[in-house]
Amino acid sequence: MNRRPSRRARQRLAWVGLVLVVGTALAVGTGRGSTPPSAAKRAVSIEAAVRCPSCEGISVLDSSAATAVAIRRAVAARIHAGQTDAEIEAYLTSRYGPGILLRPPVHGATAWVWVLPPAALAAGLAGIAVVLWRRRQPDRVWVPAPDRALVEAALTARGGGEGERGR
Amino acid sequence: MSAGVGQPTSHRRHTARWVAAAALVLGASLVAVLATRPSATATEVNTPLVGTRAPAISGTTLAGQAFDLASMRGRWVVVNFFASWCPPCQQEQPDLVAFAYRHRALGDTALVGVVFDDAVSSARGFARSSGATWPAIVDGGGQIALDYGVRGPPETFLVSPSGIVVAHLDGPVTAAQLDYWLRREQSGVT
Repeated sequence: MNRRPSRRARQRLAWVGLVLVVGTALAVGTGRGSTPPSAAKRAVSIEAAVRCPSCEGISVLDSSAATAVAIRRAVAARIHAGQTDAEIEAYLTSRYGPGILLRPPVHGATAWVWVLPPAALAAGLAGIAVVLWRRRQPDRVWVPAPDRALVEAALTARGGGEGERGR
Repeated sequence: MSAGVGQPTSHRRHTARWVAAAALVLGASLVAVLATRPSATATEVNTPLVGTRAPAISGTTLAGQAFDLASMRGRWVVVNFFASWCPPCQQEQPDLVAFAYRHRALGDTALVGVVFDDAVSSARGFARSSGATWPAIVDGGGQIALDYGVRGPPETFLVSPSGIVVAHLDGPVTAAQLDYWLRREQSGVT
């Protein structure tokens, strides 16, 4: 007679499966990163991260402006000359300032650009949560102690049962 | 009773009239300011290049002669990036001609043009028709513009006799502005 595996055994099996899937994904991901990207891939990656200096908010990769073409040419030449991505970005920022990068480095004043929006979002969500929580609470009217004593005395005089209902 | 109902409507109409009048006055003032203001001139920009050694400028001029910025060491040099298709460049050209003419006589400052994204024949025609006699370098691949961090013409740089970029001006310059920046840098007052 076949017995179905117990619930506990099924749960264990699911956990093992999950570990196997995550482990394989991590191994594949790490393995991919270990091979150096080709010069063309590096050029595309840098060009996508650099703002076209004479355009409005588009990358060098997406622009055909003369300045973008000149930057693409310079990036290719510098990769060919053996410069690292950081060295190429440093050259461009030494000419145009940090604003030439579409994602400016996270330090100093620019850090606030990255920190403030999530902080504002978190504060807003917390505020909404507090308001909703307060709305769910029954209305409570604050009554000064002397008034409360007077009401309780009056209720006691009328009878304890009614006094309890009034609360 | 009817007066009580009509009062808020009348009040609203009154407010709307005031708001419309205010918007009209604001719009008219804006039009007046835009219509009477002088045409835009260059503004000094603080780019990373200011205070550093001027990038090399070498190549062939529109006249077909070899040029090297290093050969001008010991003189103040105004480096102007221009294109024939750019209206602000056309606007500043008479002032550059006047500035170059006056300082050629004085012998203290030289002017150098760099062609920005323009056909050589167009740039040559533009320089010739405007009376520009200073050397203008052909920047085929845009490498000189890139080295100077140029975004679009006209942009002008003032290079000291020791080869340091001391000012970066964005937009069409006037002769008076160039003289002012030159005097300021010559006297060492910032």
